[in-house]
Amino acid sequence: MPLDNSAFLTRLTQICADVISDAARLSVYEADGLMAKRQMPGLVVLPKTVAEIQQVTALCHEYGVPLVARGAGTGLSGGAMPHHEGVLMVLAKFNRVLDIDAQALTAVVQPGVTNLAISDAVSDLGLYYAPDPSSQIACTIGGNVAENSGGVHCLKYGLTVHNVLSIKVVLPGGELTEIGGQGLDSPGLDLLALMHGSEGMLGIVVEVTVRLLPKPPSVAVLMAAFATVEDAAIAVSDIIGAGILPSGLEMMDSLAIQAAEDYIGAGYPTDAEALLLCELDGLPDELARLVSNVSDILSTRQLLQLSVATDEAERSKLWQGRKAAFPAVGRIAPDYYCMDGTIPRRELANVLQKITELSRHYDLAVANVFHAGDGNLHPLILFDANKDDELQRAEQFGSDILCLCIEKGGTITGEHGVGIEKINEMCVQFTEAELTLFHAIKAAFDERGILNPGKAIPTLSRCAEFGAMHVHAGENKFPDLERF
Amino acid sequence: MSAPEALCETVRAASKRGQKLRIVGGETRAFLGEALVGDYEDLSLASHEGVLSYYPAELVVRAKSGTRVADIVQLLADKGQMLAFEPPVHGESSTIGGLVATGLSGARRPYGGAVRDAILGVGLILQDGTWAEFGGQVMKNVAGYDVSRLVCGSHGILGPVTDVSLKVLPAPEVEQSISLEMQLASAQALCASLSQKVSGLSASCFLEDVLYLRFSGSEFLVRESLAKLGGEALDPLFWTQVSNQSLPVFEHAKDIWRLSVRPDEKTGDYAFGMMDWGFAQRWLFDPESDPRKGYQGAGHWTRFCCRTSDFEAPVFQPLPTAQLSITKGLKAAFDRQGIFNPGRMYSEL
Repeated sequence: MPLDNSAFLTRLTQICADVISDAARLSVYEADGLMAKRQMPGLVVLPKTVAEIQQVTALCHEYGVPLVARGAGTGLSGGAMPHHEGVLMVLAKFNRVLDIDAQALTAVVQPGVTNLAISDAVSDLGLYYAPDPSSQIACTIGGNVAENSGGVHCLKYGLTVHNVLSIKVVLPGGELTEIGGQGLDSPGLDLLALMHGSEGMLGIVVEVTVRLLPKPPSVAVLMAAFATVEDAAIAVSDIIGAGILPSGLEMMDSLAIQAAEDYIGAGYPTDAEALLLCELDGLPDELARLVSNVSDILSTRQLLQLSVATDEAERSKLWQGRKAAFPAVGRIAPDYYCMDGTIPRRELANVLQKITELSRHYDLAVANVFHAGDGNLHPLILFDANKDDELQRAEQFGSDILCLCIEKGGTITGEHGVGIEKINEMCVQFTEAELTLFHAIKAAFDERGILNPGKAIPTLSRCAEFGAMHVHAGENKFPDLERF
Repeated sequence: MSAPEALCETVRAASKRGQKLRIVGGETRAFLGEALVGDYEDLSLASHEGVLSYYPAELVVRAKSGTRVADIVQLLADKGQMLAFEPPVHGESSTIGGLVATGLSGARRPYGGAVRDAILGVGLILQDGTWAEFGGQVMKNVAGYDVSRLVCGSHGILGPVTDVSLKVLPAPEVEQSISLEMQLASAQALCASLSQKVSGLSASCFLEDVLYLRFSGSEFLVRESLAKLGGEALDPLFWTQVSNQSLPVFEHAKDIWRLSVRPDEKTGDYAFGMMDWGFAQRWLFDPESDPRKGYQGAGHWTRFCCRTSDFEAPVFQPLPTAQLSITKGLKAAFDRQGIFNPGRMYSEL
């Protein structure tokens, strides 16, 4: 195997001083945020300069060694899971904000800068960076580009792809190039869009120029508690149908509400079947009228409680519960498995009903949190990996949810990426011709296939295997029976 | 939606013969791009029309590519919604497919995003005549590479788009426009300062020492922003003409060059006939001011329209080596035989 080649290792250590090869230290990097999928890396490198990244990449290219880039390792789909015969490149040292231009409303940052650190760096100027994934305190902008991360504000302010003006990328051969530019568009094909969400398969992002926005002058968060999930779902459509675009619109079901309340004490009513958090922003006068309009709309449904938070402490308390929903659920079960399907919102009540049925079928509890404004569901399946076949059941349950999302006209992943986690379900969402085209796109950048091999796009033979298994599982009424 | 069989069959047959195809919609944007290389047949999508679905509360519209842009705009307006990129309409027969293929956005672009920002999904015919779908009708979707946005602005070189799904937004409650006489430097500074706060600025254009501005949003917001500025009230039709490039300066020009730049880039020696998009899009109407050799800025140029007889390629600013190499690879990935709009974007593609 190439990593045993002593010339490779010698040259690698000549390029980069920080190379990890002992098992104890390597094990730190064996998984990203998807802890269920682990793999020891062959080697870990922590480059310090862009030149080092280029040289390491070129070296891997020369030897045909798999190369996986990693930011903070907070990804939830195993996109940064290492390759056991490859090099894991950790970009943690690239943590500087290089330039802030308050006039042009841009910031130039290194890929290892955390999402929240960008907003913090420009906060005094009255500016912020809009996309805000729940992991924003830890996740890095390089990873955000690789996954095209969203967050609670993306309904109004867009995903990462809408808020990045240009990136510098090291291509698989080691060349450095800038994609995007100083204006609002650039010549040729839209490679900037293609790089977003490409999961480290096409190049390594080494610098990002983001667009900054002025902070809204005033903000309010409405919390509405409903007796039924249907009422909450209809209320969401009513708000958007009335021409109101909230800056955030989030829903939680009863189990998620209870878990969050027990953990954070955000003041959520624990008797509710569904909770809506609706954030509105604007000038003070404008906001007062918006709050009144939305309150009227919400009040046409059967409400258990409606409250409005305007000062920052109250708002942040309400958001805390939502943003901490994942760890909160983590406290009530030894393990949880987070799904990420998106559906047309009109299917919400149907899909939640079906998830409840699946929960009974697999005998595993599920808590639902939901970016309601844009149809992105996060069912959290609770299980105990130490018990019998619970992990296997949880994975099958998850897979059924993803297939359900596809059936309802949605997608298997709204913002977490395919990684290794959803690679089988890609076979359900895409045809052979579409997958073949994806492989050809990959080859246009990376003919040798060194970058993050085995992720994001399944091989056709893998799909052939999964296809057989999938049909079999779909017909199987006895989930406890062993499967092959 | 099921596969558009007749179109797929035409492509399949052409592919077998190695026959090059010129992909045609409403023929209203034929002025933009290079002449096709080699002999071609037309593949018309103009009659492949109709809105496939529109759910106002989901903020998504899906239409076949031959659907007229004006019809979609009207459909949305009836429900109080709009396409945030303010689609340019270059003629009655302008189609949504052509708009996506050329990637053109109108006056609201710097404030509401580009057509590529609104794209959620496309149907595409692959070179062997297979129909494929990418993206979808949901707001967030990161499964697979983002082919939908890649196709946007690709001038048909990756294949014929058969249908498009677009994100729509609620139309603003109020819009008001003004004109202010002022010099370039002050206009540039005013535009920048309006962008640095929540002002509702939704269009800006500098033309012959007059700055034209539009504000959109709630009555409160628009009133507050306008109160500080004064100026003359302006007919909103002006913005339609800006978006459609149909102001008299465009109509009278022989050659039209477009520069896409940083908003604060110096104008240098160029006598720009008009600057919109908060000074990020600039237009040259003088045949003598060909930027192809001399332009040193950080943006890029396009020979937007050529009405003189001495047409000379290139139309689009040449790509850096690494990008050209990737682009060639992508062209081959989609269209190995080179039958779709050969040479339309760059002669070697």
